Amino acid sequence: MKRRGILIGLAVAVAGAASGAAWQLRLFGKHYPRTPYDDLLAQITDREPAILFGRTAMGSFPAADILAADLRRDGRTLAARAASEPAASHVQEVSGWLVPQSVAQYAALAAQVTPPAAR
Amino acid sequence: MSAFQDARSLPKDTVLTPDLAIIGGGPAGITLALAMAQTGRSILLLESGAQTFEAPTQKLYEGAESGVPYIALDGGRLRFLGGSTNHWGGWCRPLDEIDFERRDALPHSGWPFARGEIEPYFARAQALVEAGPWIYDETGTTVSEKGPALRLGPGGVYTTWFQFSKTQGGTLPTHFGDRYLDDLKRAPHVTPLLNANVTGIRLSRDGTHVDHLDVATLSGNRLTVKPRCTVLAAGAIENARLLLASNDVMQAGVGNGNDLVGRFFADHPIPRNVATLVVFDGKLAPFYSNSQTTAEGAVMRAALSPHPEFLRTRGLAGSLTTVENPVKLDELGTAAVVTTAQALGVDASSARAFSLGCGMELAPDPERRITLGAERDALGVPVSNLHMTISDDDFAHFRQTLAELGRQLLTSKTGMIHLTYQQRHEWMAGMDWGNHHLGTTRMSADAKQGVVDADSKVHGIANLYVSGSSVFPTYGSSNPTLNLVALTLRLADKLKKVLA
Repeated sequence: MKRRGILIGLAVAVAGAASGAAWQLRLFGKHYPRTPYDDLLAQITDREPAILFGRTAMGSFPAADILAADLRRDGRTLAARAASEPAASHVQEVSGWLVPQSVAQYAALAAQVTPPAAR
Repeated sequence: MSAFQDARSLPKDTVLTPDLAIIGGGPAGITLALAMAQTGRSILLLESGAQTFEAPTQKLYEGAESGVPYIALDGGRLRFLGGSTNHWGGWCRPLDEIDFERRDALPHSGWPFARGEIEPYFARAQALVEAGPWIYDETGTTVSEKGPALRLGPGGVYTTWFQFSKTQGGTLPTHFGDRYLDDLKRAPHVTPLLNANVTGIRLSRDGTHVDHLDVATLSGNRLTVKPRCTVLAAGAIENARLLLASNDVMQAGVGNGNDLVGRFFADHPIPRNVATLVVFDGKLAPFYSNSQTTAEGAVMRAALSPHPEFLRTRGLAGSLTTVENPVKLDELGTAAVVTTAQALGVDASSARAFSLGCGMELAPDPERRITLGAERDALGVPVSNLHMTISDDDFAHFRQTLAELGRQLLTSKTGMIHLTYQQRHEWMAGMDWGNHHLGTTRMSADAKQGVVDADSKVHGIANLYVSGSSVFPTYGSSNPTLNLVALTLRLADKLKKVLA
């Protein structure tokens, strides 16, 4: 009984460590290649829908370098921008969806810099 | 006690001489007859139809159309006692103050008086359309009982309210012909004359006043009515048609010296599925998508309206947007909602989406008009020819209001919207109409700008008045019945003095 208990405990510990490592290394999550814009892209909570949405917005924005430079200019986060833009009428229509301008910009950036294979 | 009479059974060439002849037994005509019943003056209510629908009479409404597709002229109205209240939806809402204002950005807009002029008549009009106690705002218990109003950030759109004409004895909503049949029978000095088609308004030789009316029946009988005073209350299409067709003295038609009769026709376009509303937390009070009965007994439904100041500063026409049905978002829509809600720091895991509908106000357009066609109806009257228009600006105006609603939803982090249509053909593909015929005998203090004056009297004709929504010079987006009834009650007060 004692030996069996030790084995079970060991198995649980190994499983826990493995899942912890997998979580740490994002083995089961979506992988995206590193980009020069990861500081911005990291602000997007869930990049998959943003990419999908951003694909329809890409045509409205300049290339990634220029877009990213614009988004970094005042150091404000996506959350801060999105919360304040509608009141200032900084909204953008993307395929009929009316969104804060920064949401369209970040989504477009995500779509621009994510290669098709990663989508 | 008056009795209904049938024009078909009166002796041929009968001459009737009432104090007041009312042409048309719809909501305006019935309201006017009842309002004048106690004056002691003899009132003849001339109704083309019978008490129920009859196809040969309805056929008299047939006409021709050009321009943008529109409902057949015999399809959007009913020609028997009660008129188009026999098929109305019961939606009631008073016109807004801004609807009466002259706005530079909206050419040809403005009434010759402010809303305050008909305000005293709203209570009685509300009783006649049986829409319950006068609420029309959030001071009623609707909001507190059924849920909160949609939270919108500061801006140009707000929640407003419709009330509904209610069930009465199995009739939903109030059909004026049925509902007021007994009142008309009991009304002293009122004679409703059924199957009586006015085919001509005959002026004196000098064209200054109405001498007599030609009346015909489909059975071949002919009558003459020589009233002291005449009120045309046959609806915006027939009012114009009859004035234009009565061209024996004034060649352009009665009251048409300035080529205004029939122009500025309007209706409320009701494009379907104009937008998708997403509410992030999925909670939307039931009075947005369905009518709800309040503790006070009113049946109410919320709508989203542009603020007057928003309309003024943007130079827009009005609209009333309603929440229609729950809808499922496609993949792109879901992505848009998830991305936006996450950026705003809002949980959208319970989000729900709804389609939006609306009633739009058209900008006044003189080219949207009724003229006479070459064909004639069974009584020999030229048929109506409607040229219908909607400008791209009309759609653009409404789209701006929808975009403002979307902006306010984002500001409050309540939700967001998707605008369905961009191109004209997309708007037209989903188009329906309110069958609210308006504007063809527009009101203005200036005879060069309107057919009737501020008292609803035809300019230049001493004893001819027009009632109903054909006199609305600017239309608003509210349904017309309540408002035309109020306006008719105002006319009744004027006529009591005229006929005293």
